[in-house]
Amino acid sequence: MGRDALAATLELRDHAMTHALIAAAAAATLFRVVPLACEGDRLVVAGAGVLRLAAGASCAAVTPGRAVAIALDADNRATPQKLTPDALPAAKIPRAAYVLAPAAAADADETQLVTSTIDVTVPPRTPPGDDVYISTERSSWSPSEVRMDRVDARHFRLVLQLHRGARVAFRVTRGSFGTTERNAARALPAAHVALGEPDAHVVVVVAAWGDID
Amino acid sequence: MRNAVAFIAAACAVAVPCAASARASAVLDGGTIVFFSDTLALVARDGATLSLSDGTRARGDAVYVDLKSDRVVIAGHARLARGTASAAADAIALDLRSERVDLLDAASGVSRTTRALGAPAAAEFDAARFAFPDVDDRNAFIKSKHAAITPHADVRFSPAAFPTSVGGVPVPSYLYTYATGAGFAASSLSGATFDQPYGLWGSPTSLTALHARWDDGPGAALALQQQIVSGDDAYVSASIDAPVRGYAVRSFTAYKRLGTRYTASADGSATIYGSTEHAGLTAAFGLAGGALDYRHASSGFSTFDASLRTPDRPLFGGATWRLKGIVGFDSLRGGLLTQLPDARRYATVWRHGLDLQVASPLIHAPLKATLSSTFGAQRTWYAFPHHFDSLSASASASRPLLRNVTLFAGYQGQWSSDVFPNAQAIFYPTPATPVLTPDGTPYYGYTAFSGARTFRSQNVDLQFTPNRGGSTAFRLSVIHTADFPQYNGYGRPQWEARADAKFRPFPNVGIDVGRVYDFAWGGTRWQPRWSFAITP
Repeated sequence: MGRDALAATLELRDHAMTHALIAAAAAATLFRVVPLACEGDRLVVAGAGVLRLAAGASCAAVTPGRAVAIALDADNRATPQKLTPDALPAAKIPRAAYVLAPAAAADADETQLVTSTIDVTVPPRTPPGDDVYISTERSSWSPSEVRMDRVDARHFRLVLQLHRGARVAFRVTRGSFGTTERNAARALPAAHVALGEPDAHVVVVVAAWGDID
Repeated sequence: MRNAVAFIAAACAVAVPCAASARASAVLDGGTIVFFSDTLALVARDGATLSLSDGTRARGDAVYVDLKSDRVVIAGHARLARGTASAAADAIALDLRSERVDLLDAASGVSRTTRALGAPAAAEFDAARFAFPDVDDRNAFIKSKHAAITPHADVRFSPAAFPTSVGGVPVPSYLYTYATGAGFAASSLSGATFDQPYGLWGSPTSLTALHARWDDGPGAALALQQQIVSGDDAYVSASIDAPVRGYAVRSFTAYKRLGTRYTASADGSATIYGSTEHAGLTAAFGLAGGALDYRHASSGFSTFDASLRTPDRPLFGGATWRLKGIVGFDSLRGGLLTQLPDARRYATVWRHGLDLQVASPLIHAPLKATLSSTFGAQRTWYAFPHHFDSLSASASASRPLLRNVTLFAGYQGQWSSDVFPNAQAIFYPTPATPVLTPDGTPYYGYTAFSGARTFRSQNVDLQFTPNRGGSTAFRLSVIHTADFPQYNGYGRPQWEARADAKFRPFPNVGIDVGRVYDFAWGGTRWQPRWSFAITP
């Protein structure tokens, strides 16, 4: 990013930033953080601790609870910046940058959308033309909430976009509650869980349907 | 019908006090509140305040409530007060279900106290306590200004704006249930093309909800459903489904797990035309199983079945077989065999039967094709010169045509014969006058019907998924049925063509829309239908 462009994008509301500071920020790596508070020269970052602001930087562009980018100078002092997509997660901030830090950093990056794949194998006696759905707590367990894509003669797949850290309980149906999956004992199985983790994968083998023994 | 109404009334009478007893233990207010259904995260901004049932009040620049763990973080100019005591910090972390309060001061570190807000003591900095999600408000499932939280049960938003709200107009109030009882999946409502629940009252063990529904035939409908659950082990659900056109349906369903082997269930429904009830018991013996089922209709007809099935046993090459034996009876007041002059002698007819099922494994054929098939044979003998035979077969096949295009084909057939030795003509007489279809056309082919039926259907689907691992898919389908007897207006349409599109116009909302045409059915050239669903 060029110096002029960077200067234009910086939130310079109530303070002056020196050319040296702009140059340093342009060369620095950006980190995406969720600030909890910003007072004086201290910036409290969600889950990770307290950073010290660089000279000339202010809290004007910082809104608690709203993600912002920071750049660290040679002394590991933070300068708030406008958020960019290439900003690294807060977990990548060097430990030495914190003036006050917890024993272990928490991974608070829940803005990331990750794909969670659900693969379902249906029993042989599933009617060939029937659609297969998942029913989740997100829709108060509507039995036809999301239609799965057919993969082959006995397999269906659904790719969910979930926030990182999400936990979605689901069951497999053929579109109505009467066709909800059953376990080998022909009882309602406990709900399966799709997790919001990168490349999460859940494999479900349906033993029987509610209407087909 | 009276029984169904009485049951629904009783269920509601039980549920409303249950719901009323589950008071909100936390109330969150803010200029903006965003809610994410997959992470169960609530974030309030612009003058956020939190009120707890014990009188604790909190405010800050932003407040985060993690409904999964009942954890709260107050960020920016955080202040906590209870009675005359108060505390201030740069950030405050507390729990909805415990007294612990952590205060984070950027200069002095972390101190810990309780909700009574006594003198804080220095404490270890626990990162997880101060985790605040990095969320994008545009992806929120619900936007609101007021949220009343009942931990591990529900959140009532007032108002509630959804990504799908027409013109962004919010509904005045919306109850989002996240209670984990599996029985909340149970519904006594029949399937509908569109069903949008609207929670009225809730608790960790009950939910009363209105359902805005639309289905082919009856059209728009409003339904009221009451659910009561006990963990994953039991539930009861009762409902009234009242379409704008047509007649109301009252129904219930109940389930109880009896240990690890047995389950008991009951269900029923009632309309202006009568009612049906069913009670059942299943048992599992290893991979084998058994079931008892009793059904009764207000017409006086009832059936009973006791069945035992073997587990799926290997046959050859990965194929499996399974045998089921059934004993039961059919009963009708006034006699079952009404064609006979002494029908009253046959008010109850016992029967027994065998059902053999064979299933192939998933066969991987050349050209990346797959094939799966099943075959079935069933015979039922009656305590009267009468038996019923049935043969069935089904097959599914798939073959990728291009990287993102796959062809699917399916076949399903059933051939049955209802045989009365030396009395076939009595039970299946040739009609003296031609049978008329609903549009008045004579159906002469019916004269060939003497108890042997055929049901056959073939379907071909072409599925296009533009990006693998994405949520967009398009599908074209053609379904052909060739049944006997089959005539316009009765039975299944002979041809059906449909197109479905599934896509996500926004990260937090998905659309599944379909257009269906039924051909050569009901005396019309075609009958179009829509299917439409909004997904989270």
